Amino acid sequence: MFFLMLRQSFVKGWRRKVLATATIVLAASLITALMNISIDVGDKMSKEMKSYGANINLVPKSENISLEIGGVDYNPLEGQVLIDETELPKIKEIFWANNIVGYAPFLKVNAEMLGTAKRVPLVGANFDKTVPVAGDEEFRIGVRVINPYWQVNGEWPADDGEGAILVGALLARERNLKTGDRITLRMAQLSETFTVKGILSTGGAEESSLVAPLAVVQRLAALEGKVQSVSVSALTVPEDKLSRKARRSSEALDSLEYDRWYCTAYVSAITHQIEEAIPNIAARPIWQVAASEGAVINKIQLLMVVVTIAAFIASGLGISSLMVTTIMERAKEIGLTKALGAADREVYLLFLSEAALVGVIGGLLGCLAGAGLSQVIGLSIFGSLISFNWVVIPVNVAISVLIALTGSLMPSRLITKLYPAEVLHGRR
Amino acid sequence: MADVKGGGMTRGRMFLLILFKSLKIRRNRVAITFFSIMIGASIITALSSVYFDISAKMSRELRAYGANFFIGQKASSESRATDAGVIRRAVAQVPADKLIGASPYIYGVVRLDLGNAVLAGVDFTGLKKLSPYWQVEGKWISVDFDDESCMIGKTLAKNMELKVGDSVNVIRNETGFQKSLVVKGIAETGQAEDEQIFVNLALAGEILGQQGKVNHAMLSIVTEGTDIDALAKRMEASFPELDAKPIRKVSHSDGRILDKIKGLMAIIAVIILTVTTLCVMTTLIAIVSERTREIGLMKAIGADDRDIVRQFLSETLTIGVAGVAAGMALGFLLAQVLGQAVFGSFISFRLMVLPVTLVPSIAASLIAAALPVRMAVRVVPAQVLKED
Repeated sequence: MFFLMLRQSFVKGWRRKVLATATIVLAASLITALMNISIDVGDKMSKEMKSYGANINLVPKSENISLEIGGVDYNPLEGQVLIDETELPKIKEIFWANNIVGYAPFLKVNAEMLGTAKRVPLVGANFDKTVPVAGDEEFRIGVRVINPYWQVNGEWPADDGEGAILVGALLARERNLKTGDRITLRMAQLSETFTVKGILSTGGAEESSLVAPLAVVQRLAALEGKVQSVSVSALTVPEDKLSRKARRSSEALDSLEYDRWYCTAYVSAITHQIEEAIPNIAARPIWQVAASEGAVINKIQLLMVVVTIAAFIASGLGISSLMVTTIMERAKEIGLTKALGAADREVYLLFLSEAALVGVIGGLLGCLAGAGLSQVIGLSIFGSLISFNWVVIPVNVAISVLIALTGSLMPSRLITKLYPAEVLHGRR
Repeated sequence: MADVKGGGMTRGRMFLLILFKSLKIRRNRVAITFFSIMIGASIITALSSVYFDISAKMSRELRAYGANFFIGQKASSESRATDAGVIRRAVAQVPADKLIGASPYIYGVVRLDLGNAVLAGVDFTGLKKLSPYWQVEGKWISVDFDDESCMIGKTLAKNMELKVGDSVNVIRNETGFQKSLVVKGIAETGQAEDEQIFVNLALAGEILGQQGKVNHAMLSIVTEGTDIDALAKRMEASFPELDAKPIRKVSHSDGRILDKIKGLMAIIAVIILTVTTLCVMTTLIAIVSERTREIGLMKAIGADDRDIVRQFLSETLTIGVAGVAAGMALGFLLAQVLGQAVFGSFISFRLMVLPVTLVPSIAASLIAAALPVRMAVRVVPAQVLKED
């Protein structure tokens, strides 16, 4: 009898049920899409934040204190310790290798520019180069990968090119240099002539220096295979209590905490692992990028969560009000069933199982639609797919059913309280 | 109904009577309609308020990245130091509510107990706001007349074997200055600051023999769009001897991130707007469709189709306007809750929110009422009335 009524309710009142299901599908798809995005937005924004440049700096361990002010070094370092370029691919062999977006080695020297008395800083850098690393046939390194804010007015020199150089914007203005000009640099015994390929603006110290391919600078300075510092761009998670504790001293952690810290992509864990992989270097987080990134991403995540909750409450109330109407209009039918001897319990059971059924169907369809919706958002905003989190499906179906049930509960109570005679007579 | 004259009942009065009775007798349904429109409108108001404010709010958050503007001496000029007063006047050109923090800098090389180091004179109150990312062990120097303390970079501290609370001798040979300062804090940034020692600007001027001089100033300014470039132009126009420019690394990235966040918020707001509107519509459709019998009755006693559609639309419109009004008020409150929860500040009210909320809410209610009524007026009255 119960199933008969349930079936009848769906067959006869199919319109009502379609409407209810449609509402739940809409609401569920909204919640699915928002939940998916909330979960993934941290990763996605963290990739976007890479436009602020590298967040880890590698320097030789026994480094002297530099006395550099505004690009002028007051302590030209003699016999300085340098990093071997061949060691660098080891960065891609650490536990969090996949989180290393790229790196760029630098070698900074002073060169004499023919025709002027003052020495100018000359920076050797990789621009966009592929290097072989373990498990990854080619890996792109260089400043164009990790510092997207470097802008060249002209063209970038090739990494293996000879005789091509970039001039920092400040230096170009000071010395009146243009693209196409030829300059001759001298270091110790060697001298070489370059053509200015472009004017570089970075907003940093590079603007008052010359930038040439790393190999060329290494040869000029007779420092083959050596680099002075390496900027590394890594995807990290925001700092929290554990990582702050680890930073104070990794001995303070017990073994469980240490494992958890080591296996989380904190910037401190990644620097620790790089130091393990390459001896004789110190890996330092660049806090301007590392700390701020965490703060901003936390904000965006919080924003998404709050918006999701708001949308969730709104769709919950929307579904409830729909449930109230679809049940209230069946007052007469319920009056009749009660007059024919149905107990209140049975009326409840009927309504609630109807609601649950509608909730499950609506929730599942909504998940499907929401998954599509989140991909549309991902593609249009971030240009990449949002990873679908499977936990969303059960959560969403459960939520849909729960909303449908709670939405039905109140009107069911109202309706079972009615006197059959009154309803059938048409007074209510 | 136009020809019902004997009863003294004009068409207009009849219309109002039905409207009034319908609202009064069907109180439950009215409440539900009102409620669902209100919820819909409030969520739309809240989200659009947040959306229109998101740029301002997030660009404030992005100031966690520190300085995005630089003021210094023109590169072509002879000396690297400039008058502190000029820089101070240039900084004053930035509107106070846009300026998060600013600090002048003066640099020089000094001798410490165990070696040479770069000394930087700064305004610590400004610097703290300018660089919230500094990881400080110990304390910041909090007052700008403190000439007994210094802050020191982490690498420098390690090399000079200094800890928080230790004292260090600062010697400048050229000026013959010598003083023992207490290390108040050790700072870590991962950049050049790690190898520098920081003191108050006035003390630095005394040590370096350059009182009243600064090398440059760094500013952290809340920006929207390209107004930072305009600011740079304006400042260079009024201070031709200064070089004012946005720091590309930060300002360029800020723009990109803001665009992404704005885009994300926009698309989410549109989706929520659509879904909420559709939800409100389905509820209204359900409410109106159950009145098919009533429509049949009205037709049977002589109302024409147009009258009925008009009747239902004005009924929905009445409830709709009330619902949207209440929803907007509620939504604005909700926006404040969102603003406080996420940004810790209030969301400002913008007029753009009104049309964005009003148009879809009212349109959705009217369409939702019109659809089922149009279907219902097509039925034959007898059939509907019989089908009990």
